[in-house]
Amino acid sequence: MIDYDYLRPDNLEEVLGLLKEHGPKATLIAGGTDVMVKIRNTKKAPEVLVSIRGLKDLRYIEKKKDYHIGALTTHRMLEQSELIRTELSALHDGASRVGSVQVRNVATVGGNICNAAPSADTAGPLLVLDAIVFMEGPEGKRSVPITEFFTSTYKTVLKKDEVLTEIKIPGEMEHFGSAYWKHSRRKAMNLPILGIAVSLKLEGEIISDVRIALTVAAPTPVRAYKAEDFLKGKPLSDEALNEAGKIAASTECCSLRDSLRGEAWYRAEIIEVYVPRMAKLAAERRSK
Amino acid sequence: MKKVSVSFTLNGDSVKAEVPATWTLLKTLREYFELTGAKEGCGVGECGACTVIMDGEAINSCLCPIPEVEGRSVTTIEGLADEDGSLHPLQDAFLKNNGVQCGFCTSGMIMSSKALLDQNPDPTEDDIRTTIAGNFCRCTGYVQIVESVEMAAKEGK
Amino acid sequence: MEEKMPDHLFVGKSIPRTIETDKVTGKAVYIDDLKRPGMLYGKILYSKHAHAKIKSIDTSKAEKLEGVRAVLTGRDIPDVRVGFLKDQTVLKRDVVRQFKDEVAAVAAIRPEIAAEAIDLIKVEYEKLPGVFDPFEAMKQGSPLVHEVDARGRPIKSNILPLPWKFEVGDIEQARKDSAYISKDTVSTTWVNQCCMGTSGCIAEFDQNNNLTLYDQTNVIFGHIGRITEYFSQIGLRGKKIRVVNPVVGGSFGTKLDTDIYEFIAIQLALKTRKPVKILFDREEEFQALPPRQPAVFTIEQGCDKEGILTFRYCEAVLDNGSYTSWGATTPSVMIMPMSSLYRVPNVYFKATCVYTNNIYAQAMRGYGNPQATFAVETSMDTLAEEAGIDPAEFRLINRNRSGDDTPMKLRITSCGLEECITAVKEKLNWDDKKGKQKGRGVGMASLIHVAGGARVTKSDGHGMMIKLDEYGHVDVIESGTDQGQGSPTVISQIVAEALGVRPEDIFLTFGDTALALWDAGTHASRHTFMAGNAAIGACAKAKRQILEMAVEQMPKIIKGGFKRKKRKDPEFVEPDLDFGLIANPEDLDIRDRMIFPKKDPDHPYFKLPLTQILQNGLHVGTGQSKVVMAEEFYDPPTEMLNWEMKGNLSMTYAFGTCGVEVGVDEQTGEVKILKLVSAHDVGKAMNPTLLLGQIYGAAYTGVGYALTEEIKVRNGRVMNPSFRDYQMLTAMDVVPIEPVVIEPIDEAGPYGAKGVGEPGLVPTAPAIANAVYDAIGIRITDLPITPEKILTALKERKV
Repeated sequence: MIDYDYLRPDNLEEVLGLLKEHGPKATLIAGGTDVMVKIRNTKKAPEVLVSIRGLKDLRYIEKKKDYHIGALTTHRMLEQSELIRTELSALHDGASRVGSVQVRNVATVGGNICNAAPSADTAGPLLVLDAIVFMEGPEGKRSVPITEFFTSTYKTVLKKDEVLTEIKIPGEMEHFGSAYWKHSRRKAMNLPILGIAVSLKLEGEIISDVRIALTVAAPTPVRAYKAEDFLKGKPLSDEALNEAGKIAASTECCSLRDSLRGEAWYRAEIIEVYVPRMAKLAAERRSK
Repeated sequence: MKKVSVSFTLNGDSVKAEVPATWTLLKTLREYFELTGAKEGCGVGECGACTVIMDGEAINSCLCPIPEVEGRSVTTIEGLADEDGSLHPLQDAFLKNNGVQCGFCTSGMIMSSKALLDQNPDPTEDDIRTTIAGNFCRCTGYVQIVESVEMAAKEGK
Repeated sequence: MEEKMPDHLFVGKSIPRTIETDKVTGKAVYIDDLKRPGMLYGKILYSKHAHAKIKSIDTSKAEKLEGVRAVLTGRDIPDVRVGFLKDQTVLKRDVVRQFKDEVAAVAAIRPEIAAEAIDLIKVEYEKLPGVFDPFEAMKQGSPLVHEVDARGRPIKSNILPLPWKFEVGDIEQARKDSAYISKDTVSTTWVNQCCMGTSGCIAEFDQNNNLTLYDQTNVIFGHIGRITEYFSQIGLRGKKIRVVNPVVGGSFGTKLDTDIYEFIAIQLALKTRKPVKILFDREEEFQALPPRQPAVFTIEQGCDKEGILTFRYCEAVLDNGSYTSWGATTPSVMIMPMSSLYRVPNVYFKATCVYTNNIYAQAMRGYGNPQATFAVETSMDTLAEEAGIDPAEFRLINRNRSGDDTPMKLRITSCGLEECITAVKEKLNWDDKKGKQKGRGVGMASLIHVAGGARVTKSDGHGMMIKLDEYGHVDVIESGTDQGQGSPTVISQIVAEALGVRPEDIFLTFGDTALALWDAGTHASRHTFMAGNAAIGACAKAKRQILEMAVEQMPKIIKGGFKRKKRKDPEFVEPDLDFGLIANPEDLDIRDRMIFPKKDPDHPYFKLPLTQILQNGLHVGTGQSKVVMAEEFYDPPTEMLNWEMKGNLSMTYAFGTCGVEVGVDEQTGEVKILKLVSAHDVGKAMNPTLLLGQIYGAAYTGVGYALTEEIKVRNGRVMNPSFRDYQMLTAMDVVPIEPVVIEPIDEAGPYGAKGVGEPGLVPTAPAIANAVYDAIGIRITDLPITPEKILTALKERKV
């Protein structure tokens, strides 16, 4: 029978202390929308759940020189933030397409990326926004770029005794337009068949800088570097964008697989179609 | 079973529950408080039949560990009508406009909508549909539910 | 000229669902919420294989778990066969034939303990080869799903002994006479009914072994029949059975048969002597609940030069799964659209049901009609194209008309099909849009469905009892089931109208076999029609009793009043009244709680409150007091289908047309519904708001059937048993529905009404498929119409 201690520390020191004390027996829980589902579906639970919901000071969206997003910021906060919607649009797109309002009210952005599902809806946007992930553990603070955060499916560089505390997005991204497309059969309440995020910067009609990220396209969310390289310096033309879509859909950028939700060939088609569409949307948003 | 003692506000009353730490808010509402208006349609946050309002926000009570409710304020469908029995405008509108058929989704549907109207008394159709996207209904095709929420919003003005 | 209907106070009005206020306050008690003293929780262990021998079952650990009260396997209970073809047992002893097979069951004091106990049961299997495709299963040498039939005789083939066949006219000759012929193969898949409330029941025996079953069934007396038969084989012959409905969280066909879990609950209750509840979780609901029947049709139609249909030839193969529930009988309903949707003189239809090791199927809203209509209406479009006739025009040419007798011997008493097709054309701007837009298209499809009962058993009866107390409160004891369709409101409107009271005076009791008269079931869109007619009959009888009472009491009341006045005021002069106005019951009427003479409805003295008559009639003195109580058992003069599958099984038929405009994204294959017009011939709209609810809900489910929903079954296993992966539409998947209500009053219906519960779903999928064809010239013939299928077809066309 499932039985566990549910601990609710109210500051980071306590959390770190509890993680140290219980070691591998403990699992962190934030919004609970992944952890609780997993416990129910697998009928297995850790001996100790350490809740970090009480760490209220990890719940913020701020713009100073850079953008700072606390790990416990909910998807709903991201969705409703004017700053995110206008300046980091892809993240707004991603956050507002997660589950339902009920889920978004509790599910945290930190939880979304720590769960490290290949389909995580904020992962693609964070990848194209050059996010930096901050963690804190017994050895102190450290950070890694999000491109190095995901190690494999459901796995990250976060150690068992560490807590993800903040996601930082460089202030430079305000010059980028960005967009994320979650491709799914219905409009809400699903996991994506595929996710495509694009951010870009224009100088006149020329794409001076660009990021493209794909989810459900590889064991982890990935950047499509080859497609980005191709686009840089090119005009924002159908021709260039379509070619970038083709490159992004190729094995140079992703390793598509057949699954219950979608077949590899169809995923490739969607990448080809939506890299250009999202690039255009990103450009359009930038110009506004 | 490891038990926890949780004190919170439930439909305006201060309450205390002593239940296993593994229980969810839904299970506690249904089994400890015998408030069975919130339903388990899936148990994994995919259907919305268990929706309640906690500190002003609609949540899936099936995914809420009961210890997290400590010190919070929870409103369920049972807390909506006035003490004299007069219905909340949403409840009234759902009856008038056929927003309810089999009724199994109704508690959750109304609670999601209430959280919306409390925050945004003048929602667009799109706002309403976004709000109830996580509340499945097989009977109505949602049309008259959306109309019911619109009607309640008008009444509320 | 349309006859002017008398003004109704309640019928035809959008009365709110106030009678169901408990549903908006959380007070309504569903099976989930119902507890009985000492109740235990049952849980079922299902098979781990699609086809295997059970070598051993070890329940010892489960039995030892604290809180477990019973563990049952097939060896612990009589090996009695149940089901439509008696092809399965309650707990399987030797062989499992599908993943859904029930291998063991547990009852425990808490649901979590029952679930844990289930995990402790060890079953050893020896895998057997399975067959998962009906066409493979039909072949010689294919693995047999069953070894013997119900009587123990060896079975040589997977084909069921249910040769569904319908034949009228001369197909060969008609083929020769046709100017144009089209032939198509179409298929439909499994879809789940997705009731928001999952399946469940509580079985409870009293000390004398009489059973009360709290159950969501919509055929309460059918349950009694099946359980009685079961009882007679397990040593409980003669024991009484009472079936009681809690509030039902959706039905859509799932509650038609008695399912295996219900027999298991009965066995656990018998064993433990305690009430036992079994309640499915959502995953179980997707895996263990029989869904809609999938089918493959090969359909051929012909027409002459004028576009008049000459014949329709269709063969269907149905994947029956491993056992037989109502899914195998859906061809009986398929025959209706096959033979009677549009005028067609020569018809051949044959359906073959085949055992496989897949999940088995049952009823869902529309029964076999959505499947068969997908075939017929796909073919109507391809034939229209062949003949060079606009598909709407083609349908109008061949439309059914009032007064028709169809090849199936259905008598079309009223038919609004022409109006429905015309309305759809107008609302879609058909002539401007058809074939004229790239990436956008319009399509339509129509339907016929039973709308005045459905004589599928020898009685199609429906009973209703009503009684009035002296305060004018009306108890209505309804033999049907309220599964959310709005019947409590509609029946209270009818009773209020027919009896002369108000809807709020009425208290309804649904779904209790101990109280109610018999009923054939709340299925086949029959409830408003049957209960309405029963109500009108019962109310007429009750009203007669009241008016007889009034004839006796009114003069006494009035004269008594004069006497009292005279005592107070000696000057009072008694008016000269014509008591002849109220001398006979026929002279009186009741309306809005008042009794009055028909000839002078506002008579200053003869208009009295109903309650006054009821009270005076009751408190009248020794040996004379009366109460009002009446019943009606309405069994319409319809025919059961004969051996040729012909007969007028319903009093009236519903027609309707669905028109759709779609946009297709040719890069992604996605289909967007830009407009959906749903036009229905409903007889009389009893409650327009509630009627629209049926149309909207059915259309939405139809769109899911067309575009997104499918139970993905791989080698017998359901791969997507969750709302996350089963793509039922959300509120954000907007379908702009424009309903059109056509009201050709049908004399057979209560106040002219026809049934409308199922029709809205029936034509949606073919209308969408036809619109997609108009948009991109590609016809998707297997449901659902997914972006992957469209994109594949587009690519093939390029090559």
